[in-house]
Amino acid sequence: MPETPQNTNLPYAIRAYSPERLREALKKMYLVRKFEEGAEDSYMRGLIHGTMHLSIGQEASAIGSTMALTDEDKITSTHRGHGHCVGKGADLGKMFAEFFGKETGYCKGRGGSMHIADPSKGNLGANGIVGGGLPIAVGAALSAKRLGTGAVTICFFGDGANNEGAFHEALNMASIWKLPVVFVCENNKYGMSTSTERSTAVKNIAERAAAYSMPGVTVDGNDFSAVTEAVDAAVERARAGDGPSLVENLTYRWRGHSKSDRNRYRTKEEINEWMGRDPIPAMAKLLMEHHIITEDGVAAIEAEAEKIIKDAIEFATNGPDPKVEAVTRDVYTTEATA
Amino acid sequence: MPVEVIMPKVDMDMASGKIMCWHVAVGNRVEKGDPLFDIETDKAAMEVEAPASGILHHAAPEGAEIPIGKAVAWLYAEGEDVGEQPSSFASVGEPTAGPLPDPEAAPEALSTDADPEPETEREMAFADGAGEGIRATPAARRLARDEGVPLASLHGTGPRGRVQAFDVREYLKGLTTPSAPATFRPETGPLVVTRSKGGKGTPILMIHGFANDTTSWAPLEPSLRHRPLIRIHLPGHGRSPKLRIRDFAMLAREVRQAFDALQLDRAHLLGHSLGGALCIALADTRERQLASLNLIAPAGLGPQINGEALSGICKATRTESLKPWLRSLVANEDLITDAYARLAMQSRSDANLRAAQAAMADVLFPDGVQAFDLRAALERIRTPTRILWGKADAIIPWKHALRAPGRMALHLFDGVGHMPQFEAAEEVGNILRSHV
Amino acid sequence: MNAQNEPEIRELSYAEAIREAMDIALEADPSVLLMGEDIGVYGGAFQVTGDLVEKYGTDRVMDTPISELGGAGVAVGAALTGLKPIFEFQFSDFAALAMEQIVNQAAKVRFMLGGSVSVPLVMRFPAGSGTGAAAQHSQSIEAWLGHVPGLKVVQPSTPEDAKGLLLAAVADPDPVMIFEHKLLYKMKGQVPGGHYTTPIGKAAIRRVGKDVTIVATSIMVHKAMEAAEQLRADDIDAEVIDLRTVRPMDRDTVLSSVRKTGRLICVYEGVKTLGVGAEISAMVAESDAFDFLDAPIVRLGGAECPIPYNPELEKAVVPQMPDILAAARDIVKGRV
Repeated sequence: MPETPQNTNLPYAIRAYSPERLREALKKMYLVRKFEEGAEDSYMRGLIHGTMHLSIGQEASAIGSTMALTDEDKITSTHRGHGHCVGKGADLGKMFAEFFGKETGYCKGRGGSMHIADPSKGNLGANGIVGGGLPIAVGAALSAKRLGTGAVTICFFGDGANNEGAFHEALNMASIWKLPVVFVCENNKYGMSTSTERSTAVKNIAERAAAYSMPGVTVDGNDFSAVTEAVDAAVERARAGDGPSLVENLTYRWRGHSKSDRNRYRTKEEINEWMGRDPIPAMAKLLMEHHIITEDGVAAIEAEAEKIIKDAIEFATNGPDPKVEAVTRDVYTTEATA
Repeated sequence: MPVEVIMPKVDMDMASGKIMCWHVAVGNRVEKGDPLFDIETDKAAMEVEAPASGILHHAAPEGAEIPIGKAVAWLYAEGEDVGEQPSSFASVGEPTAGPLPDPEAAPEALSTDADPEPETEREMAFADGAGEGIRATPAARRLARDEGVPLASLHGTGPRGRVQAFDVREYLKGLTTPSAPATFRPETGPLVVTRSKGGKGTPILMIHGFANDTTSWAPLEPSLRHRPLIRIHLPGHGRSPKLRIRDFAMLAREVRQAFDALQLDRAHLLGHSLGGALCIALADTRERQLASLNLIAPAGLGPQINGEALSGICKATRTESLKPWLRSLVANEDLITDAYARLAMQSRSDANLRAAQAAMADVLFPDGVQAFDLRAALERIRTPTRILWGKADAIIPWKHALRAPGRMALHLFDGVGHMPQFEAAEEVGNILRSHV
Repeated sequence: MNAQNEPEIRELSYAEAIREAMDIALEADPSVLLMGEDIGVYGGAFQVTGDLVEKYGTDRVMDTPISELGGAGVAVGAALTGLKPIFEFQFSDFAALAMEQIVNQAAKVRFMLGGSVSVPLVMRFPAGSGTGAAAQHSQSIEAWLGHVPGLKVVQPSTPEDAKGLLLAAVADPDPVMIFEHKLLYKMKGQVPGGHYTTPIGKAAIRRVGKDVTIVATSIMVHKAMEAAEQLRADDIDAEVIDLRTVRPMDRDTVLSSVRKTGRLICVYEGVKTLGVGAEISAMVAESDAFDFLDAPIVRLGGAECPIPYNPELEKAVVPQMPDILAAARDIVKGRV
């Protein structure tokens, strides 16, 4: 939760969060980055057989958007959801174990990269269907309202999903019922290969909020503080019972859509330009500028993150494979009906 | 006036048909042309359509055997008074049923002679349900498997001759009737065929008679050694498996399968008594492979047969009880010496063989009557045919020979009984040798 | 069935029995809520929810916008987070709009998350032809959903089962799809009072017989029963099984009946090809009951065309009582 703002000239994040939480946020951004780099490396070594959707370059959006959430709050995630998962407090070992298809993974090897989630921390699942999580997030918000839990749901989705019918139906219902949900659009400019310019009638996706009578803002998604400022305000509004909001985080994925991407739709220059706006050094710089951490401290956090990833990969590698005969185990809650 | 529904003639040599089932319940309306009832002949099953629209009354019971052309039911108009059954149902064997072939059938048979179609049909009728391609429901197969009943021995009453559980149960019911000795344990397998050494040219295929075996050819064989000799052992006889024979058609099918397995381009057929009847049946479906047909006192040409003698032979368990019946086979009883009778009894020492033959007699010659009629088949045969008969035959009346068409040669021997190949071996041998 | 309080039995219509079940569920559990289009003051397109909104208010009897996909997804999300929604589709045909949420989300979330969550969701689908509503308001699509592991699919044929299966569905931790035949809504029947459940996955033998097994679903159960009575005149003793649950299917009841009768007729309103009857037939053919079959299996299902408008055409494309009668006669008399 945001702390008492004192010096309004300071960036929002510095005002709102303790140094400890900010250092933790930086560590999480490193963890997301290194998890995905580790995943990519494992893929290239032939250690895993599925594809993956990497969010390298989008870490500020994922970690910044989840700063104000507790374990009671919910999120719905996307196919590019490793960052949301870490943001919501998942254990890296179980994430890697799932990535390796192990029984010790979050989904016991049934989900894989696209569905890694820790429901016990309020993550309702990463969704393989573009827009699939939008109505589900509204349903979670409906539960919170009906049951009076005070929980807020953050619904992550990409720019591609804003052209799905589910997006419009979900925003409309959230609005008419004034539900505690924040729609966070991670606009990385491309739905696979199709740019938002080619796919979307409005310039900024946040403009669509107007159609559903809710606030909509567009922020620099690589600026950790800007992200937290916009999302935290929306979360606060939701928690206060004032209904949903739409926040658009403009960001960029460095890698292709998935491992099959031959990258024919964007230029080297564009990619290089965005790589120059890496959110992690920017975050480190912000913290150093405000004496929250030293350069050595940053190096130590990075090293710590690397160690966690190394241990996580070891944990995952040593984990047991799922038993083939138990493959249908979790189709139904009651075994007898399976 | 109600419309009479008759048992139609659907097969050339069909004399009667069995009503398998009614498609319409008594009292219900049927439209002209709709399926009314199913019939079964000794060759096929088929559906009969209603000859007119009306309400069904006085329907003959399912399972009833009705002579062709005779009423099986009546169709009444809506509101028409239904009184007593206009006439009672005719039964098979009645003089009105006509034991002789329909006089019109003969010219028909002649006119279709050159047409290969009827032959194909006949073949299919016999072949239906044979071998591995037996049409049977899973339930029938399970029952048959559990009860050790060879599927091929069953007669299917279902659509397209499909064997249904009903058929197996009916068959098993038959096994427990008093006339079938309880000791009979049916076997399965192909018929045994033995061959002589030597001989050249077209082989002679020999089929022995009932309650006999291939040794009955021994007196004749010296005259025929110039040709390869092939002897078929009938089921339940000699070395062949003791099959449960359901009817003559099935027996004929077994013989035909044995014949087909030999893959002969051409053969002379020689049959005695029941073997003679089987030769006629074989000739009816395999005529193109035959060089000549030679029948010694063949069965199948009339209803009479000495049932007492047959059952006496089947029943006999010792030489003393067998010998009197063996004597009825010949005119000169002195030929049946004690040694001969002892040898004959020895070959019948297997109780299961006797039981198999008794069961077969019960099916082929129920109540001392020949239950199959091959006169129409004989009429169709164009292969050079000769019939040899002893005029003192006490088993099958020699006058049955007179029913053969004029193109066939008759050799009738005075003072000779049912086994000319034994009693007049030389003469019979000479006649055959000059033709084969 | 486990009747507890109010064991008295009254005559209720199928729709009333469903309403009573929802009333009991709403009363007993504050996490239960009804969602759907026009289920509030309107009372539902078929007046199934009726006046429940007056008793429970608009928060628990929620009208949704005409957003089947979104509405279904909200129900999934609510079910994942502590509520027990009973979601009404106005017509089962509209499930096509919501297939994504039903098939990709509701059915799979638990599995995809390694069994760490459940989706206690009930969806109700007014289904079937006979109302002159033509091709987009008359389908029987239970086989579509029956094809999806993770879902349970039921088709009550009586008021008693309509109530019992709905209460069983509410108590079930997994998504249960209930297909209600629209022509049955007005059908009256004996319904026990109070709370009871009809087991999901258990067929009911509606009539004991020995000559032929007729497995029917939904409204076809009644046509099969009528046929079975008429078949007595033909001396045919038919056994009628009300399948009740399409998934998971009650193997034991069907197989033991077929073992007894040796003959099987499947009657269902959905399109014949690749339908419920195909599954029943295959189940029998693959089992030891195969060895007891004494005739080919007969399927009577919907014609290979959309449901037409003209009443005679509409009748012709789904199995009717005389079709069952004829099939039973043919199969028992060994004509097929």
